[in-house]
Amino acid sequence: MTTLRFPLSRIEGHARVEMEVQNGEVVSAQFQAIEMRGFRYFVQGTPAEQMPVIVPRICGVCSTAHHVASVKALENALEVKPPKLANEIRELLLLGQLIQNQATSLFIFTMPDRVGASSIFHMEESEANPEQQLNLAQRALKVRQMGTKLITLAGGQFIHPVKAIIGGVTSGIKAEDAEQMLKEMQDTLSTACELFDEYWEMSLAMKERIGTWGDDQPAYYIASTGVERLQFNSDTIRVLGPNGMEKATFPPELFREFLDYQQTDYSFAGKSSFQGEVLRANSLARINLAVSMGTPCADRYMTRLTEEFGKPAHPILLFDLCRGIELVYAFERAIEMLSEDLDYEDTSVPYSLKDGEGYGLVEAPRGPLIHHYTIEDGLIADAEFIIPTVHNMGAIERALRVAGERYITPQGINLELEKAVGRVVRAFDPCIACATQ
Amino acid sequence: MSEAKPLPKFAVLQLSGCAGCEVSLINATEWVDKYQLVYMPLVVSTAAVPDDTEILLVSGGVRNDEDIYNLKKATEKVDRVIAVGTCAISGGISNLGDRDDVRNMFLAQSTRHHLPHLLPKSHPIDAFVDVDLYLPGCPPTPELFMAALTDPEGYEAGSIVCVECGRKKLKDMRPKHLVGFQQGEVLPDICLINQGYLCVGSSTRGGCRAICTKPGHPCVGCRGPSDAYIEKESSVWFDRVQNVFERMTDIPPEEIKAALHSPQLSLFLFQFTDYSEGGRPPRPKDKVL
Repeated sequence: MTTLRFPLSRIEGHARVEMEVQNGEVVSAQFQAIEMRGFRYFVQGTPAEQMPVIVPRICGVCSTAHHVASVKALENALEVKPPKLANEIRELLLLGQLIQNQATSLFIFTMPDRVGASSIFHMEESEANPEQQLNLAQRALKVRQMGTKLITLAGGQFIHPVKAIIGGVTSGIKAEDAEQMLKEMQDTLSTACELFDEYWEMSLAMKERIGTWGDDQPAYYIASTGVERLQFNSDTIRVLGPNGMEKATFPPELFREFLDYQQTDYSFAGKSSFQGEVLRANSLARINLAVSMGTPCADRYMTRLTEEFGKPAHPILLFDLCRGIELVYAFERAIEMLSEDLDYEDTSVPYSLKDGEGYGLVEAPRGPLIHHYTIEDGLIADAEFIIPTVHNMGAIERALRVAGERYITPQGINLELEKAVGRVVRAFDPCIACATQ
Repeated sequence: MSEAKPLPKFAVLQLSGCAGCEVSLINATEWVDKYQLVYMPLVVSTAAVPDDTEILLVSGGVRNDEDIYNLKKATEKVDRVIAVGTCAISGGISNLGDRDDVRNMFLAQSTRHHLPHLLPKSHPIDAFVDVDLYLPGCPPTPELFMAALTDPEGYEAGSIVCVECGRKKLKDMRPKHLVGFQQGEVLPDICLINQGYLCVGSSTRGGCRAICTKPGHPCVGCRGPSDAYIEKESSVWFDRVQNVFERMTDIPPEEIKAALHSPQLSLFLFQFTDYSEGGRPPRPKDKVL
């Protein structure tokens, strides 16, 4: 038996793919997450109130989602309801995270695949006009930076935010700061759209070259955003069946009744499924579940996607296009929110510590993220992190197998396989630091 | 058209960490036309650190045997090694797992098929290789990254976070107890210690521009001890910070003492040499940005 091993880059964290091949047939395709730090274990005994500062360090890419999920889990346990303003600031924080993440995935992780370059900083190697390509990297970083700026404005610190607290947020956003941010975002939105248009064209060209959009078998989809408009500071999880019918709707505390979890010997991350079926989370899941995006530009892109690919759409490379649609949405939605008053008195409500159990849900860029804590004597007795990348593990491995079957024949292994493995994994934008903690 | 001089090459090695340092680095865009990024798995697909690399940034702690191998291999040929972020410098947040029950959990996982062998605890990188410059912070800001790459000596920063924070210290506002970790309205412009928060900005090295304390969150000390403490043992710091609180507040000393040993300050405390193993000499302050 031949074992092919593919190291991975341009994803968050340390992982690799192993494929076993015999007589030109793919015997197995494994996605191996190969790092672990043990957050679940070492936070036991931590004063519960300190969790919102500790858990962002699970992941520097998804830190905002962990920060907000943590605060919500504690509020749930302590039976505290944050005021409206706090919820709005948290939504802005999550939009900032979405901009940062989707811009990173689109332009830094996956755009180089479209032209066969090793990175966006090296795209001149494969393109004729180096001057314009340098320009491309700088434009992409500028779009990405708007996400970071929004996180800083709404969250205090720029990577591991600090402003969400049990009961609310430490402060609102001053009108002059909001206005400044709004102007910058309006100026950058057109750049984001331009880059996304280029990305869409490059994706079509890539499809022409490779002849596929990847694994297009039906799957179940999981997300916690709304139907009419995406909402990331969310409260309900929904599962869509392969034919577009909604299969389940449940609050975070009931996730065990709907999702099965399986540990594997070859990865520090487990995988989940829905009634034993392949489950997909992330951008394509949200867009398959939504009727509309709720902002004009993003809705136009969504219509184009639906016209070209139908709904629910299944090919995996559409995850990438959906990320672009969400990038545009996050800009538009943040601009809307920043034009409202975000600086009035009512930023938080008081709370007192008590024993209890709580669940906190947000829609992270990679899907529904749940923090589940048990508090005893003010300390964390147990903590559980339900990570969206884990929902995608089964789907990643299925798509890897599809790629393997395409490029491995009894005559030999097509060298395109290595590139296909990269494209498959990046389409799901997995986060290994989160998946293993 | 004249031939452009090749840009100096730099690389980024990620060990076990959260990638927050890398995310911060790509928030700094100024390096794009000054340096050539030759290796950084998060954003570049290349197999290894090239031999002619000038600067290697290392982030993350050493958590498993692959980390040790990758660290030694990457540092073999480069001119200059910079340890970036709290994990690479002290083991970071993962050090909270340096206790028996958690060590045993790691040991139980350490023989799994296909997977790297986990070490019982997280180690700083200078336990294995020589480091030319330390860049602490969780993560260091983009401004600090640029300074580390281009001009570490010329970077102008306050000696401590307080200097960069600018909140006023008041003589007549003396809390009797620490408020919860983070509770209620934070008054603008007034020192967080005056408001009863456990803020350690008074002994944390400056350079971050006080990005947490300005919007109202107490400093948890992620930049580590200031020059005044970095070559000393943590006990000196415990006494001093206790003094700061006794001078500025009426909070009972035992309440402060208990709070100072809490996990929220782990990023800070683990940077003291006596919290790491093996009696390594303290990190010299002229090597810390």
